Parts: sequence; structure tokens; C-alpha cells
Amino acid sequence: MAGLAIVPERRATFQETRRFAALDQPLISTGHLLYRRPSYLAKTTDWPQPESLVVDGGRLVLTEGNAPPRVLDLGGIPELRTLVDAIRGPLAGDLTALRRAFTVTATGDAGGWILDLMPLDARAARLLQRAQVSGRETEVTTVRLVQANGDEQQMKIRPLS
Amino acid sequence: MADFLPQGGTEAARLVMQEARAGSATGLILIGIEGAPVTDLARISVAVAASLREADLFSVVAGGQAALADTDQADLFARRYLLAPAEFDTPSLRRGLEGLLRQLRSSTAPLAIQFGLADPPGAFLALIRTWIGTSQVRTIDGAWFAPDTDRALLLARTRAGGMDVPAQETATAVIEAAFRAANPGPARLLVAGPAVFARDAARAIKGDVHRIAIVSTTLVVLLLWWRFRSPLVIAAIAAPVVFSVAVAVVAVQAAYGTVHGVALGFGATMLGVSVDYPVLMIGHRKRGEPAAATRARIGPAFILAVITATLGLAAMVLSGFPGLAQLGVFAAVGLATAAAATWWLLPRLVVAANLAPVAAGNPAWLLRVERLRQGRLLGLLPVLAAAGWLGAIGGPAWEGDLANLSPVPAASRALDAELRGALGAPDVGQILILRGRDPEAVLVAQEALLPLLDSLRNEGVIAGAEFATRLLPSAAVQSARIAALPDPLTLAARLEQARDGLPFRPGAFQPFLDAVAASRGMAPLRPADLAGSPIAARLDPLLFQRDGAWQGPVVLAGVSDPARLAAALAGHRGVVYVDMRAELGGILSGYTARAWRWLGWSGLAVLLVLAIGLRDPMRVMRVLGAVGAALLVTVAALTAAGVRLSLIHLVALQLVAGVGLDYALFFTRRQLDAEERARTLRTLVTCNGMTLLTFGLLAACQTPLLRDIGVTVAAGALLAMAFSFLFAGQAPSEDLA
Repeated sequence: MAGLAIVPERRATFQETRRFAALDQPLISTGHLLYRRPSYLAKTTDWPQPESLVVDGGRLVLTEGNAPPRVLDLGGIPELRTLVDAIRGPLAGDLTALRRAFTVTATGDAGGWILDLMPLDARAARLLQRAQVSGRETEVTTVRLVQANGDEQQMKIRPLS
Repeated sequence: MADFLPQGGTEAARLVMQEARAGSATGLILIGIEGAPVTDLARISVAVAASLREADLFSVVAGGQAALADTDQADLFARRYLLAPAEFDTPSLRRGLEGLLRQLRSSTAPLAIQFGLADPPGAFLALIRTWIGTSQVRTIDGAWFAPDTDRALLLARTRAGGMDVPAQETATAVIEAAFRAANPGPARLLVAGPAVFARDAARAIKGDVHRIAIVSTTLVVLLLWWRFRSPLVIAAIAAPVVFSVAVAVVAVQAAYGTVHGVALGFGATMLGVSVDYPVLMIGHRKRGEPAAATRARIGPAFILAVITATLGLAAMVLSGFPGLAQLGVFAAVGLATAAAATWWLLPRLVVAANLAPVAAGNPAWLLRVERLRQGRLLGLLPVLAAAGWLGAIGGPAWEGDLANLSPVPAASRALDAELRGALGAPDVGQILILRGRDPEAVLVAQEALLPLLDSLRNEGVIAGAEFATRLLPSAAVQSARIAALPDPLTLAARLEQARDGLPFRPGAFQPFLDAVAASRGMAPLRPADLAGSPIAARLDPLLFQRDGAWQGPVVLAGVSDPARLAAALAGHRGVVYVDMRAELGGILSGYTARAWRWLGWSGLAVLLVLAIGLRDPMRVMRVLGAVGAALLVTVAALTAAGVRLSLIHLVALQLVAGVGLDYALFFTRRQLDAEERARTLRTLVTCNGMTLLTFGLLAACQTPLLRDIGVTVAAGALLAMAFSFLFAGQAPSEDLA
């Protein structure tokens, strides 16, 4: 975990699979990620529906297709903050920050580890039941988010270069 | 402060003043906390908010929680198809489902699951947007922060009205106590808002009045001691003055019911003018002379001075501006009483104690001073320069903004504007006022206005508007929406069609079908149903009962073309367009015009009294010339200093005229020997010194109104003394002695 904190910038591609109880088939999308220490994260979805999500500190800027960007204040929306923290926290390798928002359980070793995150905020817990982040060495390979209603979203991450 | 503002003549003006006095916006308190690390500020802010909620003095305390509390959100969600428009035909439903699918693919998927499946038409989303408003705050650790500075923000609304000064004192004391209890360390507390202004103004005036009363009395006594060296003389001089203040307070109390702090503060400085009378009397007495003889010698000038000064104040009384009228009554009654007491009461005291000034002094000294008058034509130079300059720049600048007359210091108003901007709290500038028998009538009237407001926004005449029906539609609209809801079978069939080819499972929209079915059985939500809820706190300022009628202001934002707006509204009966600033400016210029008119009449009356009293056109001209020169140069000096003249200055100039007449009338007395002229000069210098001391102190006040009066009168009195000495007195060559 501490090893993660060394890397100043990460670039990666991702493939995301979302399973919803309301849908009879999963939704798949692909794109790329850019993380810069300490708190910048850009998630750009290229296919099938272009979208850019940039988090910098407490500000989230969401741009869907050609629509004007929407700026959200993470502090005002704890649910969203928890979702962002679940992805950004492991990338930053900041266990202290993670422990502020989640109950953290770590298993495995450097060759293959899993972080289980349970949100502490009650309002956030209604939306995000738990997050599971797995990886090896200093790379995060999978982020799995499980919603309270059983809906699930899994992001496989492949580092670039 | 509100009782110091005028009532207003037109309906719009009355509404404006009512809003200024008791409008629900007046209870708003804006709180900023800064000067410490962000995490500390957040902690303090959360703690302060918690103590304030416990205090039960506030109807709203907001500072960090999500824009809508969970329970509010649930209430609004349950009634979404009553409160917001939605379409239920198959094509609309299809568009809704497609949108939902797009949202499930996007980062906002969790919200789509939480609200979207139960609301494919998106009524709730539209509803939430209208409730959230225009705040630009960011949230850190559960506390609101200003968009670009490290300053935590809180917003509270007192249950009591903003002009209820004792209640506001309590409220701000509670805020300060909550801040101290939150262990603030180096952090600073900033508080603004109309309620705080009312309190600060009252506090500043009280402080000013106390300080002035004490300091000016001390200084005047010291000056008199230096001049007369006798405690008995000072006591004798004090008698008419104290008596006159007491009578003036009683007179104002009788006429207006209460004595305003400003009137009292002003009254304290009236000492500086009314004390002239006993000083003139004692200062002119020769040692051992019967008091009646002194009185006979100075009588004509004394009586003329009193009559003209009191007449001059009539314009203030008759201006109709309530606060100024109080000042006028106070001043006029005070002057007349002091004069009467000096005339009838003082002679007895003087004789009983054998009071008189120390020796008149060496006549050689007098002659040297009087020689200055040989060059008195030079004194015309500043007057001509002032007149020429004022003429060249097209007269003095006039203040048209009532805000600048307010007793609130400019720094406080700037802080208020800053906090208000960050919090997105409305600043009532331009509003439409709609009225009706009951809340429903007001809401219906607002709905009739909706198409017009929409088109005005599309044309860019206004940037936006906030009003009650956007939050809570009328019962009529809600009933119509209920009636338009499809029955469960129809809706299920349409939804089935809309779902065709999309990956949604058959039961996915059951919450939506249930919600529409439930809505069909609901009764419209009325304002009364909301009483006491947090939602009501949002609605109350936009829909309230006053004077037996219900009012629903439409608060306009970003009005770019007021003339077009007024024209567009011309056809709508019952809608009053109020531009607060323009309206206040209009009210003000009305009063100023009236004050000018009365100033003209009182000037004529003074001229008449002088003509009868002096019976010499040349001397009338010299007296008026001296006073006019003082006024002219004062106005020019103020204008040169960048001051915009207001009603307040006009009033102060009347006072200058009154004081100047005193000086000129005493200088212009005929056939005096050198000893008497020396007495007059010394006495008038004493009088002038007292006026300068008291009004000079006023110039150091925090209350802008008192400060303006102080600066104007102090400068004017000094000039009046100089010009009266030069123009009203006789030149040495004309000396008949």
C-alpha cells in the first residue's frame, strides 16, 4: 500500500462493466485514466458514450458528450465523495485518508493484494455498500464497487508504459 | 434605524419602506469565519451551527449540510408529480427511458438508480434544481466555504424581525457566544446582514451620543472656564442650556412618542449653539451693570438672532422626512427655550451673583484686530472664487442614493455584499409585488405571470427570478396535474411500449408506476401544510401575510433593462414593479425638493424679520451677505473635498445660517464704543469656539449622518465667523465712536 504513494503520475486504460438489477444485460465501456499526486484524477470514457470526469481536490467537473461541463462540489455530496475516494485513495496510497472514509481491511501480499473498503458515512453507505480494490506491487488492477441494492460496477485497469 | 426612515407617498414607496422595516429578508444574518487553517474553520463553523440550532432563536441555520435535508427531499420526492411538470405520453416516456440508459452508462449512474427508475420523466430533478438556487459555496468537512477565499460561511434567519433591535442584540450575542465556545483560536468572526446593521447602528449611535455628550460638555466647560474663570458663571450659563435640552426632549417625546437616538445625539451638540445665548448675555455685561441694562443693549440683536435661527430650522421640521423633522423640532424648541431662559431667568442669576466677564481687555488689541477689516474687500475673493468654480462645474454634486444616507458604515455594507454574493442570498433590489386575499390567489397570480417572465428571460431583460410558485405551485395547478395523470393500466401499457428494445427488465419501473398511482390520490400541497417544516423556511420569505393581505414578491436577478421590464408589466393589473434603489432615490429627492421649498420660504421669512428689525437695507445686505458668503464657501469646500450634498447637508447648512446670523447681527450693532466692541468680539469668539468644539466632535462620529452634520457645521461656523467679522461689522474708517 505504501509503495503506491511513490508513483507521482499514473496513466492507464480501463474497461468498465456495470451490472444493474434493472437491466437484463451489463453495460460495458472503455477509456483511460490519468492520476497525478496528490489529488488529481481524470477518468475519460471514450466508448460508447464519451464522457470526461475530472476530480481535483474537492471539485468535480463532469462533461458528458458535447454538453457544457457541470461542476460539482464533492464536500456537499458525501455519496459522491465516497465513490471518488474509493478510487482515488488507493491510487494515492494514502491509507490515513482512506481510514477517514472507510473501514479498511487489507489482505494478500505485494504479489497480489486486496483492500476491502466499507464506507463510514451513513448517507454514503446507502449508495455504496462496499468497494474492493485489488492490485499487485504498486499497480491497482481492479476496482469493484458494490451498490447497496446489489448493483455492481467493476473497472479493470491496465497501466500504460 | 427604521423609524428614522420616511413612510413614503406612493404605494410602491410604502411597500419599499415596509420591506426595509420588517421584510423577511431583514432577519437574515450572514456569518463568515476566517483567519485560521481550513480544517479549523470547518470545525468552528460546524460547532457554531450546532449551538445556533439549539438556541431556538433562528428559523433557519444553514452552513454545511446538503442543500436539502433527507426528510425534505423525501417530502418533495413523494409529491414530485404535483410540484413539477411531467409528460406521460409514450414518446415522452421513451425519451425518458433513453435518457436514463445514458445516465446509467455515465458517472451519475448511482443517482439514476436512486431517483431515475422511480421517475423516468425527471420531474424530481427539475424540482430539485429550483430548490437549490444559486449559491456558489464549496463544502469542506461539512462546512460551507466561500468560492475563492478560505472563509467558512453560515446563514441564519432570526425569528424576530430585523428591526427588532433588542431581539437582534440577543441573536448576535448568541452568535458571538457560540463562536467563543467553539474554541476559535486565531479565527475571526464576521457578521453582516440588515439585522446586524440595525444593531450596529443603534450601538454606534448610542456610543457616539454618550461620547459626544461627555466630551463636548467637558470641552465647552473648559473653554468657558478659560474665558470667565468663575464656576458661578459656568453654572449660570448651564442653567438655560440644561433646561432647554430637557424641554426639547419632552417636546419631541410629545410630538413623536419616542426620541430617536440620532435626535438625542444631535441635541447634545445643539448645546454648542444654544449655549451662545447665555454666553452672549453674560459676556456683554459690564461689571456692576444692572442686568436689564445689558439686556437692553444687546436686546435688538439678540431677539433678531433668536427669531431668525428658529425660523431657519422650520425648513427642517417641515421637510417631512421623519428623522429630520425630529431633529428640527428638537433644535428649534431647544434654541427658543434657551433664549427665553436667558432672557427672563438669567438676569436674576447674574445680578444675584454679580457675574460678569473679566476685563474687556486692552483697546489697542481690538484696534489691531479691527484693522483687518480695511482689507475686507479681499474677503470677497474666496466668495467669488467659490461662486465661479461652482458655476463652472454646474453646481454641487447631489446624493441620490438613500443607501449613502443610511447610518450603516460603508465597510459593513461591503462585507454584507461580499458574504451575500458568496452565499447566493438574494439582495432585494428589484422586485415585483403581487398581492391577494389568500396564498392561493397570490400563487395563481404568479402563475399568470410565468409566460411573461420566461420571455423576459429569453430576451435577456432579466437573468432570473425567484418566487413562491416555482417552489410550490397553486392548488389549482396541482389539481390539474393530478387530473392529468394517466390511470395505472394506461400508464403501464405506455411504459411497456416505451421500453420496447431497451435493456430494462419488466419490473424495473414498478416504483414509478406506484408513485403515479399514489399521486392520483393525493390532495394538493398548500403552504399551510408546510408550517414549521424546513421547506417552509425557504418559502416563507416568498409568500407571507402582511396588513391582512398575502404578498408574494418576485425577486428579480440581473435586470438589464428596467424600462423594458416596466413596459412589459404595464398590462398586468395588480403587479407592482419596485426598483428599490430607484424608489428610495425617488423618495429621497421628493424630500429634498420639499426641504428646498421650505428653505426658500424660511429664507424669505428671515429676510422679512431682518428688514423689520434692522430697518436699514445696507445692514440687511451686509448681514445676509456675510451669512450667504459663509454658506457658499462651505458648499464649495465640501464639493471640492468630493462630498455629494444630501438632505443632511442641507439641514446642516440651515444651522450654519442660524449661527452665522447670530454673529453677523452682533457685529452689525450700531454706535458701539471700543470697549463694547471688544466685549462683542471676545464673546463671539467664545461662542464660535464652542460651536467648533461640539460640531467638530460630531465630525469624529461613526454614524455617517452625524458626521456629515458635524463637518458641515464646523466648517460653516468658522467661515461664518470670519465673514461676519469682515462684512457685518463696521470698518474702522466708519467708526463713529
